[in-house]
Amino acid sequence: MPRFILWRLLQLPLIVAVVFLVTFTLVWWLPGNPLLRPDNRPSPEIERALLAQYHLDNPVTFMGEYLRDALHGDFGPSLQFRDQRVSDILRAGLPVSAAIGAAALALAVVLGVAAGMLGAVRPGTFADWMSQSVVLIGVSLPAFITGSVLLVIFGGLLKWFPVSGWKWNDPGYLVLPALTIALGPAAYIARLVRLGLADILNDDFIRTARAKGLPPRKVLFKHALKVAFLPVLSFLGPAAAVTMTGSFVVERVFSLPGIGTHFVTAVLNKDQFLILGIVTIFSTMLIGFNLIVDVLYAAVDPRIELT
Amino acid sequence: MRYLMPLMLALLLALSSCGRSPEPREADLIFVSIEHKFLDPQRMTWLHDIRIGECLFEPLLRFRLTDMTVEGATAERWEVSKDGLTYTFHLRPAAQWSNGDPVTAQDFAFAWRRALLQEFACDYSQFFFRIKGARDFFDWRTEQLARFNQSGADKPGAAKLWEQTQKKFKETVGIATPDDLTLVVTLEKPCPYFIELCAFTTFVPNHRASLEKEIKLNDSTGLLEMDDTYWTDPKRLIGNGPYVLVRRNFKIDLLLHQNPCYWNKAGMGNTSILEKVSEDPQSAMMIYNNGEADWLPDMPTASALAADLVAQKRSDVHLVPSVATYFYNFNCSQTLPDGRKNPLSDPRVRRALSMGIDRDTIVRQVTRLNQPTAVTFTPPGTLPGYQSPVEAGTHYDIEAAKKLLAEAGYPGGKGLTGISILFNTGQGHETVAQFIKRTWEEKLGVVVTLEPMEQNNFADRLKKHEFTISRASWFADYRDPTTFLDKFQTGNGNNDPGYQNLGYDERLQQAESETDPARRMAILRDAESLLMSEQPIAPIYHYVNLHVFNADKVKNMNLNAWNFRRLELVKVEK
Repeated sequence: MPRFILWRLLQLPLIVAVVFLVTFTLVWWLPGNPLLRPDNRPSPEIERALLAQYHLDNPVTFMGEYLRDALHGDFGPSLQFRDQRVSDILRAGLPVSAAIGAAALALAVVLGVAAGMLGAVRPGTFADWMSQSVVLIGVSLPAFITGSVLLVIFGGLLKWFPVSGWKWNDPGYLVLPALTIALGPAAYIARLVRLGLADILNDDFIRTARAKGLPPRKVLFKHALKVAFLPVLSFLGPAAAVTMTGSFVVERVFSLPGIGTHFVTAVLNKDQFLILGIVTIFSTMLIGFNLIVDVLYAAVDPRIELT
Repeated sequence: MRYLMPLMLALLLALSSCGRSPEPREADLIFVSIEHKFLDPQRMTWLHDIRIGECLFEPLLRFRLTDMTVEGATAERWEVSKDGLTYTFHLRPAAQWSNGDPVTAQDFAFAWRRALLQEFACDYSQFFFRIKGARDFFDWRTEQLARFNQSGADKPGAAKLWEQTQKKFKETVGIATPDDLTLVVTLEKPCPYFIELCAFTTFVPNHRASLEKEIKLNDSTGLLEMDDTYWTDPKRLIGNGPYVLVRRNFKIDLLLHQNPCYWNKAGMGNTSILEKVSEDPQSAMMIYNNGEADWLPDMPTASALAADLVAQKRSDVHLVPSVATYFYNFNCSQTLPDGRKNPLSDPRVRRALSMGIDRDTIVRQVTRLNQPTAVTFTPPGTLPGYQSPVEAGTHYDIEAAKKLLAEAGYPGGKGLTGISILFNTGQGHETVAQFIKRTWEEKLGVVVTLEPMEQNNFADRLKKHEFTISRASWFADYRDPTTFLDKFQTGNGNNDPGYQNLGYDERLQQAESETDPARRMAILRDAESLLMSEQPIAPIYHYVNLHVFNADKVKNMNLNAWNFRRLELVKVEK
C-alpha cells in the first residue's frame, strides 16, 4: 500500500503537467481577445501595451513567465478582474466551494444511502415509492430550479436561511446551497445502493448470516451494506472533485463567492491565467480524490490488491 | 384533502414567523451590485467601477445633480482665459488625502501623466488629448518604447528613457503646477466641454507619494510597472474622496466609511456605504425584497425580470432614459472579407434595411421596456445645446424600403444575398435579431442568417470588420455630441462599419476649431444629418436604466440620464 501511494504521488506532477500543457495549447488558440470589449475598444497603442503587460503577445514568453511565477505559487493576474491575482481568487473561492461541496457530499451519502436502503429492504411499499420519487426528482430537476425553489421557500418566505452571500461563522449560509448540490448525487447514490442491496440480499453469504441467527439489522448494516457501498465509493472520488470545486449555477443563485462561477466565466472571457490556475488546481484535486478512493476501496474490500 | 391546503398554509405561516431575525445594518446605505473589474481610477471604464471610484476619489470639479451644472470639488474656483485655451484651477487648502496629507496640484499632474503612459493602459487616455502636447507626448512615448525594445535593452537605457519621458512631459504637455494649490492646463484648441471632463473619474488625482513607491521601472522593457492589487487593498489605498475603503471581500461585499479627512463631511447625507455583490438579478431582487438592501442600481434591462418588474407597475421601480443607443452596424466597405462585392456599400440598401426595422414593436413586445425608439445616433434632448437631426433618420416604412431596394437593383430582395446578423449571446440580443430577421425576410424578401457568438470572439470579429451586419451599442462618456459622432470618423478604432466620408470628417474638424457654441452645434448637427442619410448604422432604440428603490425612504438619489452619482448625498431614512 505505501508503495502504491508513493507511486501515485510521483505520477501526480506528471499528469498535472500534461493537463496543463494541453490546456495551455487549447486556451492559447481559443478564438477571441480577452482584452477587447464589444462596445468600446482601447486604442491600438493601449491594446499593444496591455498585451505586453500580460505577456499575451508571445506564447513562449507567456509560458516562461507563467511557469516561473506558478512555481512560486503565483498564477498571475485575472484578465477579467485585473486587480485580483488568480492565487488570491483561488484562495478566497476554493475553501467556500470545498466547504459547501463537503457538506453536500455528506448530505448526499446520508440521503442516498437511506433512500436506497429503504427501497431495497421494503420494495413496493409506500416508503419505497416515496424514496423513488425523491430520487426521480433529484435526477430530473436541474440545480437552478431546485436552488431557486429552496431559496424562495426557505430564504424568502420562511426566512430560515440567508438568501445570498457567505459568512464563515454562520452555518446557515451553507444549508441551502449544500442541499441543492446534494440532491443530484444523492439520487445517484440511492440508485446504486438500491440495486446493489437488492442483489446482495439474495446472496448465499447473507442467507448464511441470517441462518446463523444474526439480527436483521446487523446483517443489513455489517454485511450487505458494506459490499453494496463499494460502487458508491468509486462514485465518491470524482463526485467529491466535482462538488468541492463549486457549481456555476448554485453559486449564481445563492451569490456565493466560490470557484465554480470563475471556472465557466473564465472560459467565456478567455481569461488565460484564471483558466490555467483553475485547471491545475482541479486536476490535482481530481487525482488526489481518486487516490483516496482507491485506498479506501482496498481498506473496505480486502480482496482488492493495490499495485 | 379539503383540510390539507389550509393546514399547510397555517403551517407555513407559523414557520415563517420563526424565521431568522434580520441582520443588523452594517452601513447607512446598502446596495447590490456586481463584482468590480478595477478600482484604479485611471483605468475604470465600467459604470459600477466608476460609481465606487467617485466615492474614493474626488476630481477638480463635480456635477451639481439638481441642475447638471459643474461646481467646485477639490478645486474651489477656476478661471478660463478669454481665448478659451487656459484653465487655471485653484485647489482648496482644506482638501486632504485620507492619510491627512494635503491634496496638491502635483498629485493631479502625476495622475494625468500616468493616464498618458501606455503601460498603465488607460482606456480613456484620449480624453487628455484635448490638452496641448498630450497627443504628441503619447505618440512620442509609444515610438520611443518601440525603438527601445528593438534596439536591445540595457539597464542605463531604461532609466535614461524614463528620464527623457519626464522631461518631455514637463516641456511639451500643457499641464503646469506653479504652486501646490494651482493647476494650470493649456488646451490644444478650445474645448467647450473640457470643464465637464474635469469632473470625470479618469481626471481624479493620485496620492503621488505612495504611488511613486509602488511604481517600478522594468529595465528590460523600459516600461513602468505597478502591482494592480495596490488599489484593492484597504490598508494601502489612499483617496481624497468622501469615503475610504474599509473592506473588500472579493465577490462578497465592499464597505466604505466616511473619510475622516474629507473637506466637506458636513455636506454628506450618510457616513457609510455597503455594496453587496450578487451576479444574479433574481438573488439581488430577493436581497432587496428581504429588506437587506436599499437600492438596486444595476438591474440588467435585457432580462425578463426587468420587463416583469416594469409590467407590475411597482412604485419602487424607476425607469430612467440613458444617453446610450442600441443600433446595428452595416459594413460599408466595398468588398466583404471573402472578396465578394458588398451590397451594403450602397447607402440605398442600408437605408432600406433600416426602414425595415419595426422599432415600436421591438420596444413594446421584444424588449418589453418601452425604450425611446431611435432614428438618430445621439439621443434627442440629452446633449445640452444640441438638437438631434431626427428628420434625417429612417422610420419603419416597408413600401419605401421596397422601392429603395428595387432602385439599388434588388427588387423584392432578389440578389441580395450573404447577409447575416452577428451578435454576442445573452442580454436579449438574440430575440431582437430574430425579430429583425423575420421582418426583413417576410416583408422585404431579404434572406438573413443569424450568427450568435461569445463576447470575446464577437469583439474580435468587429475589430477585423468581419461581418455584414452586427449589433452594437454606444454609451456617452461626456456631455457633447462628439462623444457619439467621433466614433464614425475615418480611422477611429471604434468605427466598426468602416464608414468613410470626407464630408463627415471635414465637418467634425470644422466643429473642432469653431469657437461659437451655437455655430459649433449646428455643424455637428449637419454632420449627424449626413451620417443618418447614409445610414452606416441603423439606430434601434435608446437605452433606459432601471433602478429599484423606495423613494419615500431613500432620498437625494438624483436619477439622471447620465448616471452621474453623488452617493455621498444619498440619505436613507430608517
